[in-house]
This record gives sequence, structure tokens and C-alpha cells, in this order.
Amino acid sequence: MTNATLFGMLIIDRDPFVYADFWGLVQAWFQDAGGFAALGLFAYLAYALSMPAAQAESAKARAGVSPFMLSMAVLALILYTVYAFLVTVFPNIGPDLANAKIYASDPGQYIKYVPPKFAWNLQPMLLMVGGVFALLGIGEPFARSLAKVRLRRLWALTKLSFLEAIRSKVLWVFLIALIPFMFPAKWFFPIKAEDELRSTVAITTFFMNFILLVPAGFLAAFSIPSDIKNQNIYTIVTKPVERFELVFGRFIGYTILMTAALVAMTTVSWLFIRTTGVDEKAKEETLKARVPLRGSMKFQSRKAEFAGTNVGREFDYRQYIAGDPSSPQRAIWSFNSLPSGITEGRDFVPCEFTFDIFQMTKGVENRGVDLVVRVVSWQSPQVPPTEMKDGTWKWVDTAKEQQYQDEAKQMVRELKGLAATDDVNPASALAIAKPGTKEWEIVNKLTEKYGFYEITGKEIFDYHPESIAVPVGIFKNALKDAPKPTKENPKPALVQVQVKCNTPGQMLGMAEGDLYLLEGERTFDENYFKAAFGLWCRLCFVIGLAVTCSTYLAGIISFLAMIFIYGCGYAVDHISDMASGTSYAGGPLRAVKSLLGAEQPTAQVDAASAIAQVTEGGDKFFSWVVRRFVNMIPDVYSFSWSGFVSEGFNVPVEYLVMNLVVMVGYLLPWFILGYYLIRSREVAE
Amino acid sequence: MAQDVIVETRSLTKVYRDFWGRKKKTALNALDLKIYKGEIFGLLGPNGSGKTTTIKLLLGLLFPTAGDSFVFGEPASKVEKNERIGYLPEESYLYRFLNAEETLDFYGRLFNIDSATRRKRAGELIELVGLSGDKKRILREYSKGMRQRIGLAQALINDPDLIILDEPTSGLDPLGTKWMKDLILDLRKRGKTVLMCSHRLDDVQNVCDRIAILFNGDLQEQGRVDKLIEDSNRLELRATGVQMNDALKRELEAVIKKHGGSLETFGHPTTTLEDLFLRIVEESRLRPGRRYMEPVQAGETAKQ
Repeated sequence: MTNATLFGMLIIDRDPFVYADFWGLVQAWFQDAGGFAALGLFAYLAYALSMPAAQAESAKARAGVSPFMLSMAVLALILYTVYAFLVTVFPNIGPDLANAKIYASDPGQYIKYVPPKFAWNLQPMLLMVGGVFALLGIGEPFARSLAKVRLRRLWALTKLSFLEAIRSKVLWVFLIALIPFMFPAKWFFPIKAEDELRSTVAITTFFMNFILLVPAGFLAAFSIPSDIKNQNIYTIVTKPVERFELVFGRFIGYTILMTAALVAMTTVSWLFIRTTGVDEKAKEETLKARVPLRGSMKFQSRKAEFAGTNVGREFDYRQYIAGDPSSPQRAIWSFNSLPSGITEGRDFVPCEFTFDIFQMTKGVENRGVDLVVRVVSWQSPQVPPTEMKDGTWKWVDTAKEQQYQDEAKQMVRELKGLAATDDVNPASALAIAKPGTKEWEIVNKLTEKYGFYEITGKEIFDYHPESIAVPVGIFKNALKDAPKPTKENPKPALVQVQVKCNTPGQMLGMAEGDLYLLEGERTFDENYFKAAFGLWCRLCFVIGLAVTCSTYLAGIISFLAMIFIYGCGYAVDHISDMASGTSYAGGPLRAVKSLLGAEQPTAQVDAASAIAQVTEGGDKFFSWVVRRFVNMIPDVYSFSWSGFVSEGFNVPVEYLVMNLVVMVGYLLPWFILGYYLIRSREVAE
Repeated sequence: MAQDVIVETRSLTKVYRDFWGRKKKTALNALDLKIYKGEIFGLLGPNGSGKTTTIKLLLGLLFPTAGDSFVFGEPASKVEKNERIGYLPEESYLYRFLNAEETLDFYGRLFNIDSATRRKRAGELIELVGLSGDKKRILREYSKGMRQRIGLAQALINDPDLIILDEPTSGLDPLGTKWMKDLILDLRKRGKTVLMCSHRLDDVQNVCDRIAILFNGDLQEQGRVDKLIEDSNRLELRATGVQMNDALKRELEAVIKKHGGSLETFGHPTTTLEDLFLRIVEESRLRPGRRYMEPVQAGETAKQ
């Protein structure tokens, strides 16, 4: 590993799901999917139980109700009733969303998505358990049907879909159209040498998305309707085939087919990248897969409530600290878990960062902004200064700080052969030490003993990725007798990186994803194929949605329905804002009012006006309606890893596993819906 | 001993409705039917009489508006009953991108038949339907008759106990029609039950034991074919070894008159066009190179 300046910049405005989010997601899934399941279950039971006693046995068999299903419905109903009672009687302890204040108070405020956490409170638990019962009830016939699935039959239907697509030639047309987009981007466009790989990956991924998803959706949406239209289905459902096997077989068939196409296309584009001579600059920047160790970030200053400054930029992803030697403002990254191998076989750990500079003054030409980066372990906690005009953070243990200063001075003197009387500034002497030198050994010894390291005068430029070497001693110090989580502090920070801007008149913008420790590096090749997994998940979404829609709708309508649902996934953040009432421009009625009145979308709403009350009330209702459907939309952005590959960051397996979990969780309720739709459908016209 | 009922309908009714639930047509009205084991049962009726609707209801392709239907004692909506059913639709709705072998392999898999048995049965059935030379061609290249043959093969892949044939001779030439009828009779010999519907009344008459006649969704007649077509008001007499002449005719008229009847026709019986065609084709096979020659008219040779 080198300490070369790195150029990767990855904007992560939403953290990918990690294993720790699993149980929270499971609870949320039971609540959401369970709510839909309950509606379906009650409607189904109302239909089945209202059937006259003299109804035909065939009809009764089609809408069978087992005691298990009935008991699950009763249990779900009881729990939902208790929940409704609690929400009605004690409205103040209802879920946050129901009582969410409509519209964000600060227009344009960046709201970070926080994954759901498992909650043991009564109300979420009631919703969850109610959802479990509802899902068990509605899923029982589905599970019985699944138990009757035979692999031989399933494979027959799978193979049929596969052969149909291959022999229909539709797929080939799309795949042949894709080939030119596999070629390196530099063959077509004049691009900077260092951006070569970025451009190639971005273009290839974009077109692979488009050209694989469209035929996948097309084939899947038209398959069952074509079978019905051409009456091929007559010879299938008159065999001992569970109707859902037809749906499942189609899904698996097209998934296998498109997986093969995806693998082929990924391999071809990867071969082009590896065999067409990537520029050295691009290789250095992006032909790698950095494994970053990310921490949680917060802003801190003398005032406890300081949370960064909004400089008025439209994209509120970053918040800013003021630059000045006397500024106590810091951006602090806390690392509460360190891999045990981080200290093995190395004498430093790179810390990489990319910051935004917002210039309040012109500054000095061709001169960047100076930073102070302080890295401390949990054994040397720091606190903000209390005195005005004092920008230096203090050690909590002042005696230890003094001891550190004395020892540092002594070591520097010994190193340089100076007398005790000679003036020595250990901070500046140690800060310029480079890995692999004698000075660095001293730095490592000191940091291992005291858990403190500081670099001053680090010059950076706007959006220009930089790197510093952090002595491995810090981490050794942090891992020694590391504190255990307690109730008061469940995630104690082992190491903190504190960033200060020293240049007056400049603001330094930072977000959590802007700084990380470099844990290791993996290969670009492995990363490139791992990233294709995200596209594979998207293919599954498209095929699953299209096949489900086609169980009841005509081919073209299924295709359009799939495009609508999947397309909404590209605007899921905006739709979520509308659902939660946090969209700064309000809802549709307020937007109409603003348009007609030529008002700014951010203009203050006159709450006393009758028109405003009507529009706000209407928008609130609209939010309520959208909230009911927002979880039916797939979050397609969270399945894109091309940014990781093009910027040279490793895609952790953890992210991919959680992608898979989310995808299965999303598609399962759709499949249950598809099961009921195909079962209730007369396939003959 | 009571006969085993294989198919039973009880007041089976199907009303087609439009998108808004308004009644469009009553395709089948309170049909009561029983089909017994080992018989060939024919459903007759003009277009739109409810024949195909009945079959679709029995197979679960349509759901009844009222009434019920049972196959092997199971409600028609049960999938399990399909294990013992073979179905040939009116048009052979098979996947045209598959060849004959792939088609039978596909349907064999749907019956969860193991690989060795599938291969064996597929070979036998391809042989049976006379498509051995075309088994590698995709069905898109097949003629209508060939598709009907492979359709029948797929209906028999599971060695079914009940075979439902919707217009089985549709698209077949007279040779194919005869072959199909012989096959249906052979199936009965093997103890299978056959339910068929057809427009071609001669087909039904030749092979069916019992028939039901539908018109506008209502059952008009039901019973054994020989009983239904028997004309008890008339008497047919056939004889060989005598020459047709006026004396014979007068004597026969006198005898019939003596018994209170009257002679309606007197002459040589005609064969059916089908029999004529089959005879000529058979002769052509036996005598290759045989050609039709215009009969020589008297006097033509003299002119030359």
C-alpha cells in the first residue's frame, strides 16, 4: 500500500444497509407487508365466508378457508384493534410518521435516511405481530401451493421461458445493440486520462441497465398474457401444474436468461477494460477497490447544539465549519469498531478525505485551505476550549497532556541531537515525519503510548481528494483495554479524527462519507463483478414485477404498470418526502397555489388564510394516501454500485447480502399477490 | 353393478359477463351429464352451443356461474384430477418454437414423469402419430394436421384414463381422420374413457357410444347413438346375389303393401365419399404408377 494521493470521491448520501440493520428491516417489513396482507386477508375472507352454503364445491375449493387462516385473521384483527385503540386514546404516543409535522421547517434541509431500528415498544410490536399473523394467514395457501411445486415441472417451465426468449430473437436484437456500449468510452469521447475508467464504467453500466432491463421487463410482461392469448396455457393448466408454478417458472426462466446475458455482458466489458490499456493515471486513481473504514460524523463546537453551518448551497448534503485559527468548530469522525488486523504488518493507516471549500473571501491565489487534523484514541479524550478566541481543543487529562509534550520534546531532541535547552516544537517536528523514517518510529511510539497524533498545516483544495498517514500506534493504543459498550454509551468511540479549518474567511464543508480510514485494498476485477450484483437485483425486480402484473393484466398494461412502479423507484426520495410531508415545496395543492399566485415554493405559508388551510389540509390527505403506497416502490438506487467501482471503492459483501435480503422482502408480497391473482383468473377467454 | 362415473355435471351453468358484470350470453344452462368409464361420449351442437365451454369448465379453464362439475369424483377446480386427464384442444395450441421431441419432453415433465419414462413414451407416441421423420422440426414448420397429431401425442403422454378431445379431426385429411377414429376406438378397447366434441357428425356417429346434443347452451338430447338415430318408422332391407329389375321391384312392393307399408326407394346403395377416397388411396399405394385415364368414347378411335 502506498501513501500516494488518492482521487476517489464517493458521495454516500444514504448509507447502504448493513447486517446491523437486519432486524429493524425485518420488523418494518412485517409492519408494512403485514398491513397489506391484512387488507388482502380480510377482503378474501369476506368474499369466501359470504359464499352461500349451497355454493358449488368447485367454487368453495377455489376460495378455501382453513381454520388456520381464520384463526390468524382473528388474531391479526385483535392486535390491529388494540393498536387502533391505543393510537386513538393515546394519540401522543403514536408512530412519529402519523404525527409528522407537515413540511420541513428548513426548506432544502438535508434529511438523512435512517434505517429502521428494531423497537420493543408496545405499538410497533403490536403492528409487527399483527402483520406476522396476517402474513401467515394470507400466506398459508401460498405456502401449501409452494409445497406442491415439483422441481421437474418448475424446470420445464423455466426451460420453456429460456428457449422461448432465445428462439424469439427479441433478446438478441437488444444484446447486439448493447455491444457498442461495451467498448471503452475513450474510443468515442475525448475524456481526461484520469477519468477514463470512470467514464467507461458509468457509460457501460448505464446502458447495460437500460438494455438488459427493458427486454427483461418486456419478455416477462408479455409471457403469461401471450400464453393466454395464444391459448398455449390450455395445455399447461390442464396438466397437474399449480398455477403459481407457471408464474414462478416464468420468473426463474427469465431470471436465469437475463443472468446469463448479464454475466456475458459484464465479462465482455471487463475484458475490454483489461485488454485495451487503461491510462496509468486512471489506474492509479480507480483501477483498485479500496476498503474504507467509515465512522460516524458529528459537528462540535463550544456550543453544545452546534450541528454545522448551512451556507445556502442547494444540495444540503454537506454542512460547514468556519475557518480560523481561533475557531473551536470541529467535524469529528468517531470509529467505534476497529478490525483487529488493522495494526498488523503496517506502520501507518491512510486516512483519506475530500472536502468542499466555500469561499467567504477570495483567499490567496493558487493556495488552498489549511487544515488541522487531530487523531485521538479513547484514552486521550478532548474537549472544546472554554475561553473565547481560543481555538485549541484541550485534553481532559491535562497532566497527561503535559507528560506527552515533555516526552515528545525529549524524543525529538534525542533524534536531532539537540541539547535540553534548545527550543523544540514537537508538534511541527512530528507532523512532518514520513512513514518509514526514524521520526516516524518516534511518532508511532508516542502515539501508541498516548493515543494522540496531530497534523497541522495540511493544505487541501476544493473537492480534491487528499490523504494523510495515521501512525498505527494510535490504533494499538485504542485497542488496548478497549472499553466495553455500556447502557449509557452503547457505542464507545475507539478513535476519533477531528478536523479543523485554519484558514480565515473560508468555510469547510463535510459529510460523513467524506473521510475514511483505508483498511485495505482489493482488486478492481473482483469489484467489477460484485457491482453487477446490484444490476442483477434490479433485473429480479423488473422480472418479478412484470410477471406478477401479467397474472391479471394484458401484456402491454403489465409492461406499463411495471415501468410505472419501477420508474417511481428512481424518484423514491421525492415520493418519500411527499409521503412524510417533508417536501419543502409542499404537496400538489400548494404547488398549484404557488404556480397560480406566482409565489416562490419556499415562501412562508400564511396559516391563517382559508385557501392555505384548504391546500395544506388537501396536501396532508395526499401525504396520507401516498404513505399507504410508498413502500410498494422499490428503492432502485440502493442497488447501484457503479459509483463504488468507478471511484475505486470496494463493494462489501455485506451490502450485497443486504441487497438480496431487501429484494426478497420486496418481491415476496408481490408473489403472494400474483398467486391469488392467477388462481382467481379464468385463463380461457 | 353400477358403472363408474368418470365425469359428472350438476346444473352446470356458465354466463359470460362484460367488464361491468352485465350479462352477455348464457353459454351453458343447467347441464346435467354423466359419462361412464370406458365409453366414448360425444358432445354435439352448432357453433356457440356450449360444447367447448363444457369442456373448459370440466378442465378448470373457466369457472362455473352456477352448478358444479366433477371429474373422477373430484371438483373440477382441483389440480390433482389432471394427473389422469389428457386434453387435446380444438386448435393444437402448442409452443411452435419447440420440436416434437421437445414438446413431448416438456409436457412429460409437467406430469413429473422421470427422464427414462419420458424418453420411452415420447418415442412411442411420435411413432404412433406418424411423425418419426419430422421429430426434429419445430412445430412452426408443421402442417395443421401434423400439429393435430403431435397435439394428440401430448394428450396421451401421461397414459390418461380420461381423454378429452375438442374437434379431434379438425385439420386432418380423410386418412388422418380415419386414423384418429381408429385410435379413439383403440383407446376405448384399452379401457379409457373419451369425451369428444365435433362438428363432423359422421365422426361422432362412427365412434361414439353415447352423445349429448346442445343448442344455445341447453341440453336438447342425450342417449346411445344407435338408439337416437334409429328410425323406427322405416325398414331397411339389403340383399346380395340378385339383379335389380322391375319384376323384383313389383314383387317387393306387393309384399310390403300386404303388410300395410309402402316402398319408398329401390336401387343400389351408395357408399360414402370417405370410403371411396380411402379405397382409391389404398389401391394407389398397392399399385404405384396407377393413373386416372379418361374413358374412351365410342367412335373416337374410328375418327382417328
